[in-house]
Amino acid sequence: MQCHHRHQHSLLSFIRPLSASSLLEMVGLSIGEKHFIQGGIAQDLRSDGRKRLTIRPIYVETGVISQANGSARVRMGATDVIACVKAELGRPNALQPDKGKVVVNVDCSPTAAPMFEGRGGEELSAELSVALQRCLLGGKSGSGAGIDLSSLVVVEGKICWDLYIDGLVVSSDGNLLDALGAAIKAALSNTGIPKVNVAAGASGDEQPEVDVSDEEFLQFDTSRVPVIVTLTKVGRHYIVDATSEEESQMCLAVSISINRQGHICGLTKRGGAGLDPSIILDMISVAKTVSEQLINTLDSHIAAAEAGEEES
Amino acid sequence: MEYVSPEGLRLDGRRPMEMRQIRAEIGVVAKAAGSALFEMGNTKVIAAVYGPREVQNRSQQLNDSALVRCEYTMANFSTGDRMRKPKGDRRSTEISLVIRQTMEACIMTHLMPRSQIDIFVQVLQADGGTRSACINAASLALADAGIPMRDLVTSCSAGYLNSTPLLDLNYIEDSAGGADVTLGILPKLDKVTLLQMDAKLSVETFENVMQLAIEGCKAVATYIREVLLENTKQLEYRRGI
Repeated sequence: MQCHHRHQHSLLSFIRPLSASSLLEMVGLSIGEKHFIQGGIAQDLRSDGRKRLTIRPIYVETGVISQANGSARVRMGATDVIACVKAELGRPNALQPDKGKVVVNVDCSPTAAPMFEGRGGEELSAELSVALQRCLLGGKSGSGAGIDLSSLVVVEGKICWDLYIDGLVVSSDGNLLDALGAAIKAALSNTGIPKVNVAAGASGDEQPEVDVSDEEFLQFDTSRVPVIVTLTKVGRHYIVDATSEEESQMCLAVSISINRQGHICGLTKRGGAGLDPSIILDMISVAKTVSEQLINTLDSHIAAAEAGEEES
Repeated sequence: MEYVSPEGLRLDGRRPMEMRQIRAEIGVVAKAAGSALFEMGNTKVIAAVYGPREVQNRSQQLNDSALVRCEYTMANFSTGDRMRKPKGDRRSTEISLVIRQTMEACIMTHLMPRSQIDIFVQVLQADGGTRSACINAASLALADAGIPMRDLVTSCSAGYLNSTPLLDLNYIEDSAGGADVTLGILPKLDKVTLLQMDAKLSVETFENVMQLAIEGCKAVATYIREVLLENTKQLEYRRGI
């Protein structure tokens, strides 16, 4: 089965916006190059020398934004993203008084590609934000969320922490979702949430007085935060950590978020082509193996980055 | 409020004529023609240059010179309080324009007719002097992209608080309400290409403050040259010459 050609992609984008089709514009490939990429994937030797299920080396740097509660920069090849966590005190939602709130938002900087200038990056930003929200936060009720929302409550029903997670794409060479997921995980492990002392005695509907400590911080538990593994199908095969050239040749992509326990926390399928249900199950088991590898690499990098930051 | 202590120290411990720590890095965005990261204390910006390339919008094409475009964006997390700002607000548009005009003045646009050069600056962290940091980063990114320029533009700000001229204001000093002079110069040609000031100053004081800003710009220029030279040496080394 051959992948869609360029004109078919642009036709599809009228039906529904695809990040792949919008990214396609900036990758100008000749027919020979397309065949080279597809052929390489079929033979399990990709253009950069990787196998189909090998991820690019990851570089993690934490504490890059000193004004934030937590931040991290993650580079995978030429893809470079920054994630930043800011915590603010707020009021829990009336329907979920025992849970804090987390908002994920992604921006694509025009530095990554000229097409993101002005409002050009909004469509992709929205797609990435929603996919991350789905992968990390679970459903509307907040149950099954990768991030433990109940740890963000200070006083039930009255005060909670609102976590604002901002992602920024600085340089883009494919696989943005996985890189953002990794950056968010790293930023969360870098996050210190100030200790809050609640003045006793407030009763009824009164908002209790709080004292936010600027010395004591609570480390955020990130052991359950999932990573995202995107499997991109090119031709008959699927690959992990696709570059933008490879993404331009994809027919579909499935992003699976998996935590350390091996639980699937969220799933997104992008791209127009249909998929055999048995292949989806196969993809999930492959993603699970890759995620173990990714989590281990990421954890050791995060630990190294944290140690390096404390030293300096 | 006291911005300069009786001992002559500023809020962040600097002397009045002292700059914040500056740091620059070249080639931070792999896919761009040229890119640079520039830090002045806590202010941190990234600039990327794309081009010279074909003009995207044909009606903007200039037959005798290159079209220079610039976009300034601030990350959501760049300010102290997280704020969701719509893209293209008045402040960003104005800064984009300032950067574009300043860079246009130093690029030899007549050598690249019917082409387009895009400069994108992204503020990662804002702590005063973003305008200056953006111009310095853009200058480095243009140099990294190998775009012909008359000279490097460098920029620095200076202000006047507690009857003392201060170099390189940070956010607290910037929002103190005193005068803030942002200056951009072509250090080799010794020409001023950008000058902005808010609030009022007597002519004599202005002279002092501007002189201080010029010194700042020259210091930045020296540093930028060092960074470029180091980068070129590394390129040379990698080529094995």
